[in-house]
Amino acid sequence: MVETVKLTIDGHHITVPKGTLVIEAARQVGVMVPHFCYHPKLKPDANCRMCLVEIEKMPKLQTACSTPAAEGMVVRTATTVVNEAHKSVLEFILANHPLDCPVCDQGGRCDLQDFSHEYTPTTSRFIEVKRVFPKEYFSPLIETQMNRCVQCLRCVRYCDEVMDVKALAPSGRGTMTEIKHFTHHELDCEFCGGCVQICPVGAITSRLSMYEFRPWMLKRADTVCTYCGDGCQITIQTKENQLIEVMSAQGAGRNNGDLCARGFFGYHVSTHPDRLQHPLIRRNGELVQATWEDALEWVAETAIRLKLAHGPNAFGGLIGARCTNEDLYLFQKFMRLVVGTNNIDSSARYGQINGVRALRRVQGTSRWTVTFDDIVSAEALLLVGTNVTETNPITGLKVKEAVKKRQATLLTIEALEPAVGTISNIANLAAHHFSVQPDGFKPAVLGLIKAVVEENLVSQPLAQKAPGYVQAVSEAVRRLSWQAIERATGSSSQSFIDATRSFTRTARAVILVGQGVLRAPDGSGLTATLLDLLLLTGHHGLPGCGVAPLAEENNDQGAVEMGAALEYLPGPSDANDQAARARLAQAWKEELPKGPGKSLMEMIEGARTGSLKAMFIVGENPAGSLPPSAGTMEALQSLDLLVCQELFLTETARLAHVVLPACSYAEKDGTFTNTEGHVQSVRHAIELIGESRPDWEILSALSVLMGYPLEYGDAKEIFKEIRSLIPGYGLLGPAPTPPRPDQAVVESYLKTGYSSGLAERYTLGERRAASGERKDFSLTLLVTQTLFHSGKFSTRAKGLLQVQAEGAFSLNPADGTRLGLAEGDRVRVSNDLGEMTTTVKLQDRVPVGLALFPEHFDQEARRLLRVSTDPATQVPYYKSASVKVEKAK
Amino acid sequence: MMKTFNAWLKTIIFYEILIGMKATLGHLLRYKPITLQYPHEKRTLPDSYRGMLALLRYDDGTEKCVGCDLCEAACPSRVIKVISAEVPGEPTKRYSKEYYMDMTRCLFCGLCVDACPVDALGMTREYEWAVYDKRQLRLNKQQLLAIGDRSFPVREKRLELQHPNVAFFNVAFRQMPPKEG
Repeated sequence: MVETVKLTIDGHHITVPKGTLVIEAARQVGVMVPHFCYHPKLKPDANCRMCLVEIEKMPKLQTACSTPAAEGMVVRTATTVVNEAHKSVLEFILANHPLDCPVCDQGGRCDLQDFSHEYTPTTSRFIEVKRVFPKEYFSPLIETQMNRCVQCLRCVRYCDEVMDVKALAPSGRGTMTEIKHFTHHELDCEFCGGCVQICPVGAITSRLSMYEFRPWMLKRADTVCTYCGDGCQITIQTKENQLIEVMSAQGAGRNNGDLCARGFFGYHVSTHPDRLQHPLIRRNGELVQATWEDALEWVAETAIRLKLAHGPNAFGGLIGARCTNEDLYLFQKFMRLVVGTNNIDSSARYGQINGVRALRRVQGTSRWTVTFDDIVSAEALLLVGTNVTETNPITGLKVKEAVKKRQATLLTIEALEPAVGTISNIANLAAHHFSVQPDGFKPAVLGLIKAVVEENLVSQPLAQKAPGYVQAVSEAVRRLSWQAIERATGSSSQSFIDATRSFTRTARAVILVGQGVLRAPDGSGLTATLLDLLLLTGHHGLPGCGVAPLAEENNDQGAVEMGAALEYLPGPSDANDQAARARLAQAWKEELPKGPGKSLMEMIEGARTGSLKAMFIVGENPAGSLPPSAGTMEALQSLDLLVCQELFLTETARLAHVVLPACSYAEKDGTFTNTEGHVQSVRHAIELIGESRPDWEILSALSVLMGYPLEYGDAKEIFKEIRSLIPGYGLLGPAPTPPRPDQAVVESYLKTGYSSGLAERYTLGERRAASGERKDFSLTLLVTQTLFHSGKFSTRAKGLLQVQAEGAFSLNPADGTRLGLAEGDRVRVSNDLGEMTTTVKLQDRVPVGLALFPEHFDQEARRLLRVSTDPATQVPYYKSASVKVEKAK
Repeated sequence: MMKTFNAWLKTIIFYEILIGMKATLGHLLRYKPITLQYPHEKRTLPDSYRGMLALLRYDDGTEKCVGCDLCEAACPSRVIKVISAEVPGEPTKRYSKEYYMDMTRCLFCGLCVDACPVDALGMTREYEWAVYDKRQLRLNKQQLLAIGDRSFPVREKRLELQHPNVAFFNVAFRQMPPKEG
């Protein structure tokens, strides 16, 4: 039971939990106490003195933002004394504030403007000259106008407390205090836009939308970000069908108003001039503009002809996981019913499938059993291969909050070194950090399990319930020697034991699994091994505990749940689950196609060998994602029919026979399912660009022409059907309730299920490259995601290009010295497959022996990569390669 | 008796009509026309006459308008449309890239002139704006500036730093890179 106190604010009686600040209590009874420096997300600072209130029996006025409510307190916020105080505080602020409201982008939504109107006379007694700061160039995206600053330090505190970036600092004293970044060159930070959003005045504004709008002109649409799997709620603000800016309100969505650079500055992708505006059809080898009627009729005709000649299994379908659930659902329905094949795959195949497979195998759920709130309130967090601050920045914020505000124990197994840098680094916050090479995640996890077994930390109830399982796992890890694990991970056995002890001690533990695991060979196996770890420590099944694989694309989770994969039907239920097939057949009034279906790599192989004749590709670009060594280009070229629904003329779309212009997330309605399984509404902010249409509408039109109409009035009608078929899509509420592990599945896993593949999961595997000291010119190249981009999609957003416009070859300064390379040098990177020339960037956070290159700019780097396919889950892996590095001439 | 006679007399001489037409008959004798022979004759306009709107310039020929959109916000009949941007070649300085007034809708209330923080709008004494095609009444920035130029020959002096007490106001910072479009 929470202890409460009763107090009176302006005559209103209110009961609040003990420790509530007076300003918050006042807000609850509808009394607005004016303030600048207070923000619910930040610790009270009480530096602006604007929130002074009168409290009975206290000799002086008190700051409402730093005074906790106490029993029997009587607060008055609108007395003469308080008004006098407001007046004098504002008089001091206005003594220096320039009267440039007309040209200030904050004008119209400025706290200082509002309070001045309410509390001050229209004239000032000050006749002195105002303070003027020399203007310094700040950054390409964030604009500062320090003359307008009221020195509330919200930006500085947000940057430190919430983002953990510490890019801003106050410098100077008194009225001459100025917000600065530490260095002499321009601002180099995470560009999360938090300072822009939190500034109560116009001192920090977005340069991207500068002078394009006034706040009262903007039309708002609450929608969901299209980049990573975190599913942040954003408010797209538009003016006359133009995208002006993106905001996220405090308390809104799963992100609680926090955004990253992609969300805040990456919105221009929807209105990029290269957007396809008309259908294109290939005539005499050239893609030429066509009408919708011509294009669709040609596709339908050719598809029917090919289906009659070669059967439905000569068709393949591939969809990108940036599409809405409605698009994904209709796509798989189109492929399964209209075409009649199970050859369906989505970009969830690149990694998300691995996580879902493991979760389904061990605990019978296809989603997380935890939420973001459980991450925040976790006592121990284990991050494996996540690089969470770059790939899923908002999940990263939850981890930061758990560690910084709630003192959670953080264990990290990452291809990262703790280092001071311009962007935050999760390894810096870790209590126990294991810096490994990309192939070292498994040995490190096995090290933890070995420590659990050898230190007798195995949960007693589990040992009694499933002695066979514990025995088998114990034997498997005992067979591994500490020397081998130490060699493979570069960490001592004692460090594993210490980390395990601090992990098992806690009551609430969450394991986050990132792309380093999911997009790697045997990602599914390693995720299952992490579930083993949770089972062994006894955390599995407890509230607030679970393994959470992070999604890379915004609707990876939705793609799996909608059944846009050969092995899953909507639900997701297994494709050969007879009960689910019967239920779907009844709902769809049609028998589902039989047969195993082909995965992405099998479809490409099929196209090459000629068994696959036609492909429908929606919002996915295999020719641009997979390395050339996979032969995707040649395979797609040999198809008789390639239909692409795309926003841009991508590498794949250039090979197509027909390109149909689809619309982006900013123009469509629907839902996205984020990484934690939270379904959120997507609402259109602007009208459709050119002749583009939503993907589901195109598929619906095609289905009519192909003689099997799947007709829907709007996206909501499709969602109604989804809702009736798939659990977890009932309510689009603010708080998702995660599923519980299916006890029957867990028990069968503990009885027999664990044994398949146990031997492979519990071996250290071959070392592909030795970490640490190397003598030759070789490095392991790892193509990774960076904070400022998401896939190739965001490389069309002009804001993000101003932060990162090209790829650089990042390596540790020690490697730089060894190879004789300095920052900015051109290097030639090569292996037996090819070579590329790029620029060197030295970063302390890159482990020795590793070199990172952003996947968003990997057109050249892809040439060095080779694809290997996971035999169990068909996940293609092509992220790393061994390369030789030399200085370019 | 006398009363009856008076009533009869008033009836036969149309007394009421004469009373009613007293002013008319008076003017019949003292003829002084009040009709203005427009367009040959024109009225003297009062000082506060609210005529055609115009955009003004400073003495050095630069436009006063800073593109703050406040006139647009103040206008009760949505006459004005401002598209603001950064001045090319003068980073951080704001101006109206495009400025439109749809004079078919204007009430000549003058709220836009009151709203303007830099006195960039003025009401001229022009009112002869009858046109055959309504589209000619949709004026752009150049037309509005031209009206200002011919109606306000005396221009206000421009100050880079308008007054030390208002600190900087819409000043360019040459060392900054321009905003990318």
